[in-house]
Amino acid sequence: MAASIQTQPRFFYPPGGIMIWILIVVELLTFGIAMIALAVSSKENPELFHQSRLHLNTYIGTLNTIFLLASGFFMAVAVQETKNNNHKLTAKYILLALSGGGLFLILKSLEYYVKIEQGLTVGHNTFFTYYWLLTLFHLIHVLVGMGILTGLYFSVRKGITPERKENIGAGAAFWHMCDIIWLFLFPVLYLIL
Amino acid sequence: MKKRLKITLALLVLLTLVSAMLAEGRRVNWAWFLILTLAAIKFNLVVFEFMELRSAHGFWKLLMVFYSVVFITVLGLILMH
Repeated sequence: MAASIQTQPRFFYPPGGIMIWILIVVELLTFGIAMIALAVSSKENPELFHQSRLHLNTYIGTLNTIFLLASGFFMAVAVQETKNNNHKLTAKYILLALSGGGLFLILKSLEYYVKIEQGLTVGHNTFFTYYWLLTLFHLIHVLVGMGILTGLYFSVRKGITPERKENIGAGAAFWHMCDIIWLFLFPVLYLIL
Repeated sequence: MKKRLKITLALLVLLTLVSAMLAEGRRVNWAWFLILTLAAIKFNLVVFEFMELRSAHGFWKLLMVFYSVVFITVLGLILMH
């Protein structure tokens, strides 16, 4: 009996709250299915997919991965500082996390600009249709995440309350979701085909 | 705690660089398998360390490990054939 009372809240309260984790699972399934569809399509014309993949810059992809990972690290530290009730350090680390997201956006925009200049747009071929749809869909998540982090930054500067702690936990979970989606998107698009 | 997060970040960056080098080098024809495995390891490192899933209910831990294993297995099977 005691065990079930202890277990039930832990099941319903994963870090960040159950609602954000339901969203994370749905997003992972959506991106997962899309990436599997990309792999299936690549088997129909492997040479086209391989040649198209070579147009992507591995170094930009790698650097963007590192920016997102560093940003995720700063957000994880921000959550730790929230537990220490240190609102100044929490705000500082959220700002650092935001900077990582900003660098990702700058590099991604540069990559998009080069692709558009080369004529490698959404309708160029099947590979680039997947590339644009998957990366733009991911980018929308990054932009939403940055909006959430900006809101959290201004809110936490006023101090830490139990409600703000919950909001920071949920916001951090959303931000990390952008990381984990990219961790599969990066090798599938840039490295293995 | 911060030290643990720093070690995790260093490991994640290292694995990312190894993945990129494997893709650029292509000295082994099963490099794609190693790259996918490394991606799954990185996924779980972020989920367990940065997202603090280590302290969560076993269901969530199992769900995330299950997702990463099933995803790379399905992808691997498609790419092998």
